Amino acid sequence: MMKKNAYENAEKRISVMEIERFAIKDGPGIRSTVFLEGCPLHCPWCANPESQEIGKKLLYAADRCCGCGTCAAVCPFSAVKMNESGKPEFNRDVCRKCGQCVAHCPNGAITFSGKIMTAGEILDIVLRDKEYYKNSGGGITFSGGEPFFQYEGLAAMLALSKASYLHTAVETCGNVPTQYIHEQIDNIDLFLFDVKHSDPCEFHEITGGNLDLILNNLHYIAAHTGSDVLVRIPVIPGYNDTQKIIGDIFRIVQDCGIKTVQLLPYHALGVNKYKRLGRPYLLEGVKSLQKNDLKAFANMGTEAGLQIITG
Amino acid sequence: MAEFDVNGVQNVEVSVKLPCEKTVIEQLEIMEKYTDTHRSLLGEAKEIREVECLKVLFPTMFRSIQDADVIAGRLDILPIGFGSVTSLGGAGHFCVFGKLRSFQQQLEEKYRPRVDRLYDYWLDHDLKTKFCTKVLTDATIGRFIDCEYPMIATTRLSGMMLDYEKLLSNGICGLCEFVETKIRQEPDNTFYHAALTCFQIYTSSIDGLQERIKNASAPTRERAAQLKRMYDDLEAIRTAPPKTFTQALQMYWLYSMLAGVINYGRLDDFLGPYLSRDLDTGLITEDEAFVYLKCLWTLIEARRTTVNGRIIVGGMGRKHPREADRFLHICMRVAKVCRYVEPQFTLRFTKDTSEEIWDEALDALGAGATYPTLYNDDINVPAVQYGMRVDQKTAEQYVPFGCTEFVIQGQSTGSPNICFNMLKLLTLYMNAGIDPMDGKYKADGIETPALDSFKTFEEFYDGYKKLVNHYLDLAIDAQMESYRIMSNNISNMFTSILINDCLDRGKAVLDGGVRYLGGTNEIYGSINTSDSLVAIKKLVFEQKKYSLGEIHTAMLDNFAHAPLIRKDLLNCPKYGNDIEEADDMANDVYELIAKGTRNRGIAAGMQYFLVVISNNQLNTEWGTRTAASPDGRLSGMYMNPANNPQGGADKSGPTAMLNSLRRFDAKYHAGSVQNIKFSPSMFNEHREVIKALFKTYFANGGCHLMVTVVDRGELEDAVVHPERHKTLIVRVSGFSAVFIDLDPKVQQELLSRNLYDEEKCL
Repeated sequence: MMKKNAYENAEKRISVMEIERFAIKDGPGIRSTVFLEGCPLHCPWCANPESQEIGKKLLYAADRCCGCGTCAAVCPFSAVKMNESGKPEFNRDVCRKCGQCVAHCPNGAITFSGKIMTAGEILDIVLRDKEYYKNSGGGITFSGGEPFFQYEGLAAMLALSKASYLHTAVETCGNVPTQYIHEQIDNIDLFLFDVKHSDPCEFHEITGGNLDLILNNLHYIAAHTGSDVLVRIPVIPGYNDTQKIIGDIFRIVQDCGIKTVQLLPYHALGVNKYKRLGRPYLLEGVKSLQKNDLKAFANMGTEAGLQIITG
Repeated sequence: MAEFDVNGVQNVEVSVKLPCEKTVIEQLEIMEKYTDTHRSLLGEAKEIREVECLKVLFPTMFRSIQDADVIAGRLDILPIGFGSVTSLGGAGHFCVFGKLRSFQQQLEEKYRPRVDRLYDYWLDHDLKTKFCTKVLTDATIGRFIDCEYPMIATTRLSGMMLDYEKLLSNGICGLCEFVETKIRQEPDNTFYHAALTCFQIYTSSIDGLQERIKNASAPTRERAAQLKRMYDDLEAIRTAPPKTFTQALQMYWLYSMLAGVINYGRLDDFLGPYLSRDLDTGLITEDEAFVYLKCLWTLIEARRTTVNGRIIVGGMGRKHPREADRFLHICMRVAKVCRYVEPQFTLRFTKDTSEEIWDEALDALGAGATYPTLYNDDINVPAVQYGMRVDQKTAEQYVPFGCTEFVIQGQSTGSPNICFNMLKLLTLYMNAGIDPMDGKYKADGIETPALDSFKTFEEFYDGYKKLVNHYLDLAIDAQMESYRIMSNNISNMFTSILINDCLDRGKAVLDGGVRYLGGTNEIYGSINTSDSLVAIKKLVFEQKKYSLGEIHTAMLDNFAHAPLIRKDLLNCPKYGNDIEEADDMANDVYELIAKGTRNRGIAAGMQYFLVVISNNQLNTEWGTRTAASPDGRLSGMYMNPANNPQGGADKSGPTAMLNSLRRFDAKYHAGSVQNIKFSPSMFNEHREVIKALFKTYFANGGCHLMVTVVDRGELEDAVVHPERHKTLIVRVSGFSAVFIDLDPKVQQELLSRNLYDEEKCL
């Protein structure tokens, strides 16, 4: 029976954005982070916009494009047109993702993001670094997107990881069915749990998420003894960078009995990805924050009795 | 006879030497005297000619004592003289013709004909020129460093590391006594007679240095005391063995200058006991010892040999590990504060090396020192045992010199007198034997079948192997000839005296004196080659997307009209990403060249002839004269550095790259440079992670690492504003350099390599 399950798990097909090896900020030690596609939220500051939906996404890097027009010429669906400045424009509604432009672009300016892998294939790559995990106290981290969004795939990966004696971490927005967490919590050693706002209405307006569900889940995880949880607050200028909101989050966290909070300064490194996806970036012009910019919030947390990690 | 440019540059010289202290007329006269001595003794035994010529140089060529020196001994090197390595003039009786011509330009017109006469004499007597005349060919073997050829050869005796313990424990009187006893048994042995003359040269050098100390300025009482100590130390070691640390240090240093060796061996083990005793008795404090070692660092840096200056500490097989570690700890402090490119401070370690030593090493690296370079004894000792065919006790005395080549301290030669360009061979193999760079045929009669005749990848690869093997035949012959020609003309007397078993046998190193006659073959472009083979295998024989001819045509055109072919070639699996397909091929190419080299050495009667996958900056220089290749590399572009992936080809992070690096079995090579580069924040703010990364790599077969910690922005800014980055030191590949001193092409190659930074990890 066990063997059959393991086999089924290994065959499970998962939509993956990327596997990052030597990830050192997604939990303790040296880790590999598996970015799964799909997310219930649409945070405007998201640094991985290509992970929000499941499936192939066409990325166009204008800086690599020589304007040769090959893509427009080879597209069988007329989804690519050259504009007046000699650069291609993609009609993504018409595009069937056939890959002709990707194959023919001489400069590699057009690529696809996202691919389908089996859980076994993912594990094979991750296990290549198992000695590094062992010696550094590291392991595997699932991120995204929201890893619970592909629930069956995540469950398969967690089971396989545990069977390989890996330390597991899940980076989650918490906006997931509580039942999923119930079912998987024993296979998760560490939750990296985002709390992005304190006001359910505003939070819903910005991200489309359900804060009550998130906090319920957080309470459940915090009360569970087998797993560690680190709450992370991405501090985003104009969205949650007020003493009130951050202070409220601190209180919510403390109510759960959680002692450590990580403040993540907003960074604009995702901006290029939006351009490549042909999507507007709502935080255009907002400057990245530095660790020092969060000092006041950090002090506030420390005074409230929390241990604060910045960065 | 092949034509070659005798005036050409013969070695990498990034660090420029100080101008000679003597006037140009004095320099001219010394070179004339040297030349006259040489000429007058042409009919005499080579040992006698050598030591008489050395008398012209010593003590004359010692420079004056500089203000901060606490150890005596700086030397000037003239374009004509005696040496063993190219970075200090050349091998044997040498003339560096290009430098002699430059020297001539500094003279008044009326003196210049005298230089012409010297030039003409040495055309017939410079050892390297003799070698080149005999060995070089028009199409296959070029001179060091002529990048038109697939292989280059020279004669030199690089990397000799002497048995200093023998020197220090016997003193000159002890050695002298030994030789005199031998002379009574073999009165006609000129080697022994010449050895006695060497001891006289040593003594007269002490006189010369004492004279310079007397002339040194002593503005303070403290300085006067330092100078007196130097003077007294020299007096103490005139004939007797040293009794104190500073005497031992002075004696080792003076002897190294006389021998012309530029790699120094396991200083911790042979100086540690002296230091330890003096620390215990209060004769010296740790801070005073620090000053002396910092001075040693400065003197080594001043020799400006660019790719040498090895000081090795730590590891297996030390006779005095406790005392040696006290020495090691002070060295670590010195290494951390010095922003020098030399000495190449080297740490050998085992799985039992203390955390304290690891932390010191990582601190020095994190400070941007590029030192220590790290060598894993748990892998290297058994590898040396097999590779060099010696027992474990002997293998424990391995020491890396130069860029990384191993020798056995005091017991073996390992001079890399051949450099071998695997990728150039591949490009000409695919082009009917004609090098696309210059249109010359260089396959030397080896079959290069039409590309459409290959039915399988194996057939294609086998043909290439035949060409490689043919060149390996040429390589072993050239290496042997390089030793033969030295043996016929010189004895490297000072070196021979401290290399076992020369004194016992009464023979110079290359006359049958050295216990283990070894040599090394420097390999270039092997990763470009294996990546190329993977691409051909996949695209031509598996996917059948292109024919070999189509790829070849695109290569000849530098992919100008076939960008898609290049894109497909670049997208094939590349070494450095922990992908088995690519790493297996890299290993196959490695074993082809490594075993081929080793087997030929054994067959030729050498103890060992092994590849070194080191490189100075020749990967870039040779790349400029190597045509476009099937890995997608453009014509003229740098080749991969040492054992690392082509710059930028590794896209999967440091664990994946290290997993690829460790693939090769170390027992077939005598050193393989592995570079890795981090940003300061990554390296210093995640120290425990970095330590775990290194230790895991080493525990799983990694033999070695060279680490640069540098900010990418700083490198980029240094390209534009060199004046702001005068002390920025980077690891090139097997040597460190001030970044702004490097050729722009070498700078670009360095920038192309991945730098592991936190940004990727947000």
